[in-house]
Amino acid sequence: MHNYVGKEFDRVDAVDKVTGIAVFTADIALPRMLHMKVLRSGRPHALITSIDTSTAESMDGVKKVVTGTNCDILFGTCLWDQPPLANGKVRHAGEPVAAVIAETPWQAAEALKKIKVTYEDLPYVLDPIEAAKQDAPLIHEKNGEYRHISYVVHPIKGSNIFHHYKLRKGDVKKGFVDADVIVEDNFEFPLSSHTALEPHAAICRFHHDGSIEMWASNQAPFVLRDVLSDMFKVPASKVRVHIPYLGGGFGGKSDVSIEPLVAYAASFVPGYAVKLVLTRQEVITGSLLGRGMKGHMRLGAKSDGTLVALEASMYFADGAYGDTSWAIDTVAGHNCTGPFEIPNCHVDVYGVYTNSPSVGAYRGYGHPEGHLMVNRLMDRLARKLNIPLPEIMKKNFLKEGKVNALGQKITKHHGDICKCLDAVYGSIFTENVPKEDDDYFYGRGLAAMMKSPKMSTNAASTCYLQMNVDGSIFINLSGIEMGQGVHTVFSQIAAEAMNMPVCKINVYKDVDTQFSPWEWQTVASMQTYRGGRAIQDACRKAVELLKYNASLVFHSDVSHVDYDGQYCIHKLTGERIPIGSLARGYSYENGLTVGIPVQTTGYYRVADLTEPDPETGMGNAAGSWTFGCQAALIRIAKATGKIDILHFASAFDIGKAINPKTARGQVVGGVVQGLGATLMEKISFKEDGNIKNVNFPAYVVPRIKDIPHKQTVFLFETPNNEGPWSAKPMAEHPIVAVAPCILNAIYDAIGVEFAKLPVLPSDILGSIDRKE
Amino acid sequence: MKLINMTVNGDKMVAYIPDGRVMLVDVLRDQFGLTGTKVGCGVGQCGACTVIMNGEPVTSCTVLAEKAESSEILTIEGLAKEGQLHPIQEAFIKAGAVQCGFCTPGLIMRLYALFSKNPDADETSIKDALGKHICRCTGYESILEAALLAQKELKTLV
Repeated sequence: MHNYVGKEFDRVDAVDKVTGIAVFTADIALPRMLHMKVLRSGRPHALITSIDTSTAESMDGVKKVVTGTNCDILFGTCLWDQPPLANGKVRHAGEPVAAVIAETPWQAAEALKKIKVTYEDLPYVLDPIEAAKQDAPLIHEKNGEYRHISYVVHPIKGSNIFHHYKLRKGDVKKGFVDADVIVEDNFEFPLSSHTALEPHAAICRFHHDGSIEMWASNQAPFVLRDVLSDMFKVPASKVRVHIPYLGGGFGGKSDVSIEPLVAYAASFVPGYAVKLVLTRQEVITGSLLGRGMKGHMRLGAKSDGTLVALEASMYFADGAYGDTSWAIDTVAGHNCTGPFEIPNCHVDVYGVYTNSPSVGAYRGYGHPEGHLMVNRLMDRLARKLNIPLPEIMKKNFLKEGKVNALGQKITKHHGDICKCLDAVYGSIFTENVPKEDDDYFYGRGLAAMMKSPKMSTNAASTCYLQMNVDGSIFINLSGIEMGQGVHTVFSQIAAEAMNMPVCKINVYKDVDTQFSPWEWQTVASMQTYRGGRAIQDACRKAVELLKYNASLVFHSDVSHVDYDGQYCIHKLTGERIPIGSLARGYSYENGLTVGIPVQTTGYYRVADLTEPDPETGMGNAAGSWTFGCQAALIRIAKATGKIDILHFASAFDIGKAINPKTARGQVVGGVVQGLGATLMEKISFKEDGNIKNVNFPAYVVPRIKDIPHKQTVFLFETPNNEGPWSAKPMAEHPIVAVAPCILNAIYDAIGVEFAKLPVLPSDILGSIDRKE
Repeated sequence: MKLINMTVNGDKMVAYIPDGRVMLVDVLRDQFGLTGTKVGCGVGQCGACTVIMNGEPVTSCTVLAEKAESSEILTIEGLAKEGQLHPIQEAFIKAGAVQCGFCTPGLIMRLYALFSKNPDADETSIKDALGKHICRCTGYESILEAALLAQKELKTLV
């Protein structure tokens, strides 16, 4: 039994957040701070022929106008292809061309209007399949020549393809020859905006000694630190990054977005802090977008439903720069099989430069795209073979003993997907679907998912623990609190590991690379799992130190000392010492002190990961899996085409829900975000290559009227030896299978095979008209 | 340049209005340090900047600062009294309606305005009020739960 894990504790950040005291980056004002505004190109692909900043420079309050004209910096983490400000060429309409630094934001904005830029327009391309063609306008003349890590990024020189991931498993030709039934289709998952409610913000100061300090709304402080260090050739030890609370991330604030721009501008005014807060329009045009896939998938099965072959091609409109998206493309390839064993796979994924904002991580990280394809095709396969979908799913699920697309063997402890299926099926399918009436069609859909986090092979979390003389402890990690509840979960894990109440645990709320322990980054739903293990490690070492200190006082062997969360106790004599008295070593009455201060470091890294083999795309690249299923009952209004979600059920095997309430919150919120992608959200472009829907309400996201009438959430807990008390990644997962689940339900309701997102009421009405 | 007077959270305040289009939210955040009021969209569509002005909920990013002359403003910072959270704040915590927290102050102020005027607001009215806000984290379920919980609690206090 656990005392603190598996219980619903209130969030440790909640009081600060309901009282308006929680500090986000935009809330920070520093001494000697200036404000920055950015001039964006407004054209998708053009050569810059001249920039005249003279009038702007002479305006009231203007301190500096910065352009990229003499900037030879390219930044990146694996593919160094992006300048902080356009230098000679713009590659998307939101690209920064100049930055004004002034005393007030208004003065900076006024000066922007006076900057004169002339351009020579170039043909532009937005569609990833068009962009991948040989005769497409070339967006990067130096594609293939940029510095890149060649084991993982595979550019095709002379084209817009900056990354080609290949998965080659088995013999796909033979597989399709053996197939009795083949289904296939073209799919689209459009570009969309993460829409974290907090717009991106960053503040940067170059100190006069050459060191750099930054405050940023960012999920990856240490990646950001290393990028800045690399950009300005300053030792990483001279770069300090602070991250306050994050107002949502969903991947859009990793790895870096606006920070290199702000730092570059700030480098021209050393001694001043320079602050940039994006407008909502700029979040959409000038930070990162998500998804943007066009794909084709072909799936073959035997007449008994056994899957034998999968062939897929996926083209990602990854935008003007590729560093934040190449890994998503790779993962999209790994995982496009969904949670199914398919012996023969042939998958090509192309990360393609397009004249749109760069794509970055977005909740689900390449999984929703492939899962849309495979789940829609499974539904079709089941109908074609006249086998119930749950049956055909169960026949092919990646369960104990099966081998995934990467060649990794699945074991029992990886999770029970059949249980997940039974749960959601039981919720949605056991009652009769309402009969079509005058106003509505009704339908039910089912989809299955798995997610494996993509991470750097050395990705680790580390934890500093410090015990105080009252026996309370500080826990310091660099996991970013961006709404997922990580600080609350960290405090519960520490409480359990130390066997002391949550109120005695203080998890550091601000991350500061000068004081916080190294962490890869807060992505891939890994903080509970990886950070939690680091906490366990630090706690174990702290208890060992306490026992050691007590053994010195007891003049006994450490093996004779017990620890109960309050005291260290001599097992034989029953003598006991409060742990606080051992926190700095033990001091006798005369002041003589023995033992070791209780400060420890813990770490956890998912072991033995490798990058996928460049030729086969296979290897030990996935460190963990979480499996799940989702099902929905929907109704479609005949008059309007509007879809209501009457009941949405989700089941995931997450190993252990450390905090069932916050875990449920992740699922319920993720489902609604997935419904946005399914039924509403799409970045649209005007004829001139600018984005059309740059703010609410034109960019439509779910509001309270759009949510399911009912959500049911099952969290199953198959014991495993992975995360702390078996807890596994689960935060992105609720979004992964929402779209195919709803599209399968739409087919059930009206018999139309949708394959492109979003499905709008007008699409529904159009399809009903066509059928009639 | 202009000076304007307003009462904010019970305190008499004077704001200096520099050149340009200055909004109420800018004055609250930049001059009074009341950064609990957030800017999510700048066009009054997401509700994060909602404050109470003369008893009415307004999106402070669309109200010109000079329009606030002589007005009574209540922001999220003015809700908790002497270390005691307001029942709506308590309800948000209890219902698990807080995730990233960026939309939270605006939602709480919206509900404060609603329940001050109409303690018996039905679920449709509550949903209409919440419908003026965007939350990207919670999926709204827990926010509605918090609203209903707060309403119940507020009624017991009357």
